Amino acid sequence: MAPPDSFTFDVLMSYLLVGAALMVLGMLGFLARRNLIVMFLSTEMMIQGTALTLVGFGRYHGNWTGQVFTIVILTVAACEASIALALILILFHRCSSLDVTLWQDIREPGQPPALVSLEESEAEPVEAFAGPESYPHLTPAGIEPAHPTLPWTERRD
Amino acid sequence: MDTRTQSDLMLAIVVVVLGAAGTYLLLPHRHGVAKPRTMHIAGAILAGLGLLLFDMFWRPPGPFLTSLFFYAFSLAAVAGGLLMITTRNPIYSALWFASVVLSTSGLFLLSGAQFLAAGTVIVYAGAIIVTFLFVIMLAQMEGRATYDRAARSPFAATMSCFVLFWGLLYSLFLVKPPASVATGPNPAPPAAAMADASPNATRAPLTRTQDLGPGSVALARDLASRPTAQLNDAQGRPKPHVAGLGETLYTDHLVSVELAGTLLFVALIGAVAIATPKRPIRPGNREAAAPSPTVAPNA
Repeated sequence: MAPPDSFTFDVLMSYLLVGAALMVLGMLGFLARRNLIVMFLSTEMMIQGTALTLVGFGRYHGNWTGQVFTIVILTVAACEASIALALILILFHRCSSLDVTLWQDIREPGQPPALVSLEESEAEPVEAFAGPESYPHLTPAGIEPAHPTLPWTERRD
Repeated sequence: MDTRTQSDLMLAIVVVVLGAAGTYLLLPHRHGVAKPRTMHIAGAILAGLGLLLFDMFWRPPGPFLTSLFFYAFSLAAVAGGLLMITTRNPIYSALWFASVVLSTSGLFLLSGAQFLAAGTVIVYAGAIIVTFLFVIMLAQMEGRATYDRAARSPFAATMSCFVLFWGLLYSLFLVKPPASVATGPNPAPPAAAMADASPNATRAPLTRTQDLGPGSVALARDLASRPTAQLNDAQGRPKPHVAGLGETLYTDHLVSVELAGTLLFVALIGAVAIATPKRPIRPGNREAAAPSPTVAPNA
């Protein structure tokens, strides 16, 4: 059976290539990033790549199956988003941080723990923004003046 | 394996090497003594070159305007994905993810899936807004936290993912169009069809759904070959979009729809049960710790 219209094999191949690229980039983000929110977004991007592949296949074969499958995937993605964001909320409340390394106690048995101090030393150095952050720090001189004792919300002068 | 496949595979190696090098330089980690900005510029140039070479694999899908939109959406999707995983600030990550979602919806539109394009935008717009709220609520440091500036073993992750990418490209380039498309708008030349029958079976032809043999895929073939599951009706005219999609959704895939609804309900209950704030168990609080004596008190 011929393709229904101008959606040829070459076009299908283009869709598959873009879907493969999105899938691989999402997997890289999930493996390499440590921020829980970015990891969640990376899984969503993997799902996008897969959905693109399915829609391309469905159109090429001339039936609705790919789109039906993508609708189911969309449902699963919505469920995953709700549960993942609830989990991120709970994990943040426990540790006050979005770092996934803090939860390495639940890793697979036999895996060596990631050293937080080592990861700290491998972090990218912070570049100070132009402005007050990049001003030089001067040594304070003289006697420290008396600070106002009232909080600023109650001061009237 | 003909010359086009060989040149494609060589180009794929170049694309994978350029993309891996650029992505590794763009990922947040310490680059020795080099300044981060220099490394980022070098990584952006390498990854951009890889992306430009990668789009040489794509074939324009039709007339000029369609091809223009296809290239724009595909480039925006892949570049947005690359920037999403490499930017430090989670807010920018969410913004680039929005660009990925919009581009994917555009590609859905170009492949004739209007309902899915609208559905994707609606579902993911909500998801992205909620993600924005979370970022604003939880991550106050605007990409300056340690965990945003340090990737987890970036070299190994880049290597494994791009080796997987090369494997995907290799397997895609080894697929050849089915020989039975001779009546289609892009007929395969008979010589190629004859070459398919040769014992050189490294390029397996893509099988059409209707041509699948009996066996484990019989159920899928039967489902996909029903008249309700076709994009066109018996006269070969395209069905009205949402009507056709709803027809196949509620005749062939009714159980899947019910299962999806049940899954949404279960996920709703689970999310509420997870995210409801519970009173913390203090050491002196007897009645909070009493109902579950087997659980160790989490002081």
